[in-house]
Amino acid sequence: MIPATHGELETAGRPVILEITGLSHHFVHDGAVVPVLRELTLTVREGELVCLIGRSGCGKSTLLKIVAGFLAPTAGRCRLDGRPIQRPGPDRGVVFQEDALFPWLTVRENIGFGLTGQHWPRQQRQREVDRILDLVGLQDCGDYLPQALSGGMKQRVALARVLIRFPRLLLMDEPFGALDAQAREEMQELLLDLVRRRRQTILFVTHDVQEAVVIADRVVVLERNGGRIREELTIDLARPRDRGDGRFQACCSRLRQWLRT
Amino acid sequence: MAGKEVLQSLLLPLAALSLWFGLSASGLAPGYLLPSPATVFDSGLNYIFGSPGDGPYAGRFAGDLAASLVRVLLGFAIAAGLGIPLGICSGRLALVNRLVASSVAGLRAVPGICWLPLALIWFGIGIKTTVFLVALAAFFPIYQNALTGARLVAPIYYQAGAMLGVSRLRGVFAILLPMAMPNIITGLRLGMGIAWAYLVLGELTGVPDGLGAVIIDARMLGQTDIILVGIILIAVIGRVCDRLLVAGLRLLFKSARRQR
Repeated sequence: MIPATHGELETAGRPVILEITGLSHHFVHDGAVVPVLRELTLTVREGELVCLIGRSGCGKSTLLKIVAGFLAPTAGRCRLDGRPIQRPGPDRGVVFQEDALFPWLTVRENIGFGLTGQHWPRQQRQREVDRILDLVGLQDCGDYLPQALSGGMKQRVALARVLIRFPRLLLMDEPFGALDAQAREEMQELLLDLVRRRRQTILFVTHDVQEAVVIADRVVVLERNGGRIREELTIDLARPRDRGDGRFQACCSRLRQWLRT
Repeated sequence: MAGKEVLQSLLLPLAALSLWFGLSASGLAPGYLLPSPATVFDSGLNYIFGSPGDGPYAGRFAGDLAASLVRVLLGFAIAAGLGIPLGICSGRLALVNRLVASSVAGLRAVPGICWLPLALIWFGIGIKTTVFLVALAAFFPIYQNALTGARLVAPIYYQAGAMLGVSRLRGVFAILLPMAMPNIITGLRLGMGIAWAYLVLGELTGVPDGLGAVIIDARMLGQTDIILVGIILIAVIGRVCDRLLVAGLRLLFKSARRQR
């Protein structure tokens, strides 16, 4: 097992997975051009958990959609492992904020969905689904339909169905925003466990400063309306992190300061 | 359903039946206008189980049912075969919708019965006219509901599919159709109901067999009891067809079984 503490020092030497340079995007609304991102540059290294925080409308979700391939940027480059991102694909698994599970498929079938068309033998597929179910702690709920699940369980399934394809990069768009405090903390722990076990690289959008400091190796703060990066903060605290700790709170207040101004 | 609920749902039919009994027994409604329930029941038995010697309608039910079923199912199949793909395409592709929508809306504005004379000229008296009318009438609800269902699928589901590696074509079968299934089922059920209505219209034209033909025939011979038998049988068979349709779809598709 990989030690629980790994942070900036460890990821610094690792190869860059995601490379965003000079990325700009604008929407056209009623004939008016609304800029969302302006010449944004950002890199994410292998095994890193980077949190993007910012106020509503700062473009953090737009950035994630561009990386996912759902949206083509107006200008700039966006590369995954050196190759330009052109369309969505299983190398970039997305966990959405809202429930996007397929309602007519059981938990097991939802998780296996990404494997259809992969020509895996049935048994091997079953084993893989079981393994992932286990990983997200849903071993007893495999035959439930999504409608029978709580919000937290749904997001576990949403996570599981992308993990089964071993994404190079995991994109999460405020995935725990709709959960109660308890479920949210459980999911954060699960995510950290995943990072530890699979060295999963994650780009995580949130507006919750505490959440960012709990999970991130590095927090990237977007400008209020500028569509640019305001500041970056490397969170070099040992895990598991104690929310009551002085340094933890110092990180939070610095981030809040940046968000405010 | 619990016993109480069953009772509640039977309340209205039982009341209607009692009223019918009362009207016949009191002599308020003469037999040639409204035959007594007992007469209708006997005629029904005779129509369904009688042997050909027992009267003009004796034992004809099986043959009429077969003839009508063929017409209804053929027309319904054509309507579904055209309506679902066209509706789905119109719901997803703006181009197809622009091409098709106004024509469909225009055609729908024409009451189905207006097509009868034209159908008679084109197809003559017989199965083809009836199938044409049934298919035409059943098409609209099937098309419209498939269209609505396809349009209502939230983009997030396609995004979810795309990031899991589902191609657009496979997405149609793996995501779009299952998501639209509740609406497709609604359309098919409405279409099936209308199919039976237009069957009777099609059989008005003097075809020798079929449940609608029997009703028309009985009117000319003044056999009100047989008209009522026909009406009741069409109601029952229509209901059975609806249940079978739903059961069949649930058997075939997970998305029909597990949604709403």
